[in-house]
Amino acid sequence: MTEFIQQILAGLAAGVVYAGLALALGVVFQGTGMLNLAQGELATLSAFGAWSLVEAGMSFWLAFPAAVLLSAALGAAVERVLVRPVEGAGPMVLLAAGAAMLLGLNALIALVWDTDPKTFASPFGASSVGVGEIRLTSQQVGAAVLVLVTMGVIAALFRFTPVGLKLRAVATNPDSARLLGVRTGRMLALGWALAGAVGAVAGTAAAPIAGLSPEMMAGPLLLALAAATLGGMTSRGGAVVGGLIIGVAGSLASRYVPGLGGDLQLVVPFAVIFAVLLLRPQGLFGRAATVRA
Amino acid sequence: MKPATDSGSRPPDPSFSRHALEVRDVGVSFQGVRALDEVGFGVPSGGVSALIGPNGAGKTTLFNCVSGLYRHEGGVLLDGEDVTGLGPHARAARGIARTFQTPVLLDELPVLDNVMLGGHTRTRSGVLATLVAGGLFRSEERRLRNEASRLLDAFGIAHLAGTVPGSLPHGDRRRVEVARAVMARPRLLLLDEPAAGLDADEARELLETAMAVCDGAGEGTTTALLVEHDMELVMSVARHVIVLDAGKLLATGTPEEIAEDPRVIAAYLGTEIEEVGR
Repeated sequence: MTEFIQQILAGLAAGVVYAGLALALGVVFQGTGMLNLAQGELATLSAFGAWSLVEAGMSFWLAFPAAVLLSAALGAAVERVLVRPVEGAGPMVLLAAGAAMLLGLNALIALVWDTDPKTFASPFGASSVGVGEIRLTSQQVGAAVLVLVTMGVIAALFRFTPVGLKLRAVATNPDSARLLGVRTGRMLALGWALAGAVGAVAGTAAAPIAGLSPEMMAGPLLLALAAATLGGMTSRGGAVVGGLIIGVAGSLASRYVPGLGGDLQLVVPFAVIFAVLLLRPQGLFGRAATVRA
Repeated sequence: MKPATDSGSRPPDPSFSRHALEVRDVGVSFQGVRALDEVGFGVPSGGVSALIGPNGAGKTTLFNCVSGLYRHEGGVLLDGEDVTGLGPHARAARGIARTFQTPVLLDELPVLDNVMLGGHTRTRSGVLATLVAGGLFRSEERRLRNEASRLLDAFGIAHLAGTVPGSLPHGDRRRVEVARAVMARPRLLLLDEPAAGLDADEARELLETAMAVCDGAGEGTTTALLVEHDMELVMSVARHVIVLDAGKLLATGTPEEIAEDPRVIAAYLGTEIEEVGR
């Protein structure tokens, strides 16, 4: 039983990172209808940025917010420069734009920081916390808290501020929001900035555990896609719940399903994606697309 | 009755400042089709005015020009201020609110949020300020929420606050949309066929509620301009009527003057208007 609980907690700790990425995917998808395949690379870029600042002698607690702010600015810039010109060109063009950004950013990261894995020292130390035999590393706990707090701030922004109301309006129906005089372009850029910031937090939180490399977020992005599909692309809360479920499912499957350890546990998100698309395409908390006659 | 004139050759009107809306030589074409052609008129400040005309006359197109959704020739002045070069968001911020022929609502957001959104032009918190000090703007959001709740109550739809409008009947959607427009505390309220889907009493009540709320807000005069096919409603609520036909201004005047104008009767109203106007 102790081991089972340990696996669940480890899964939750990992799932928080997937949830952060899934939330970023959902915010962008809602606003622009784009599945941002480059979300993982944006997070990786942020992690490398934070790492470079730390290596240059800056405290992690200064480097971290700096990287998050830069990522937010980068997210807004990507929306303005790369996405807006093609936003009306249909889903395939947007998907291709995302794929192009993924490849481009991946190459850029490899060019600047090369492909050798790097160690990102944990800002939370190497100790462990827990009760009795149930233990988590301080990095797991600290990273989870960091991402959860960020998601809480984002949720409060959406729910309790006038700007959040406009963000929700644009995310729900940009055309209608535009007719009401909402500056949709500005809100879409803000959505991308928020997605960039959340992704940066998730990437920087994951780096000490996953190790810093250009491909470090490839697996988490796949898991985040599964999380967003499970929770519902149109539901921010659903993305978070989906991330936690995927984290726990992966952790339990790798421990208790024979032959499913290591990279093979990626079977779990694939299975989830297929099952959700077959049984409930809008996800657990998403809304089905409706067209009013 | 004021005759329809070529507004381009019209001498400057000294009463411009008394016009809530001044439309000057507005024109717009779609793929070679002239939808509006040098339309010019003034809407007196305060109360309800009406824009009428047969189907295809250009009424909704004119609304789209005034609210900034269409680029157009000519000029649009709001309370004497030239807003011609401004986009929809800037015109909304200056006090133009509108409804649509088919209510445009955010079907996935609750009714209360839809109405709150109408007040977005009156919020002070910008993007950066919210990001830096989001908590400080909680009170602003709460003020909007309370105000929207009171409006829902005034329009008799308080029980729908938590409902998503996608599932509502047309009449309720119309009420939500008008409440949202009023939430903006507009200087100019453009209502596109507000009576559609409502019976005569409901339509009149909706208009009266909208004007009462606007007048009671204590933020200056609100002028309503409505596009409406229900002539009985128009003749009973409007103090000033503008008639369009085939994209051109046909006549402006009081309801009584319009009811007796033979060109209006010939172009659009037939005998019905004479009966209503008597």
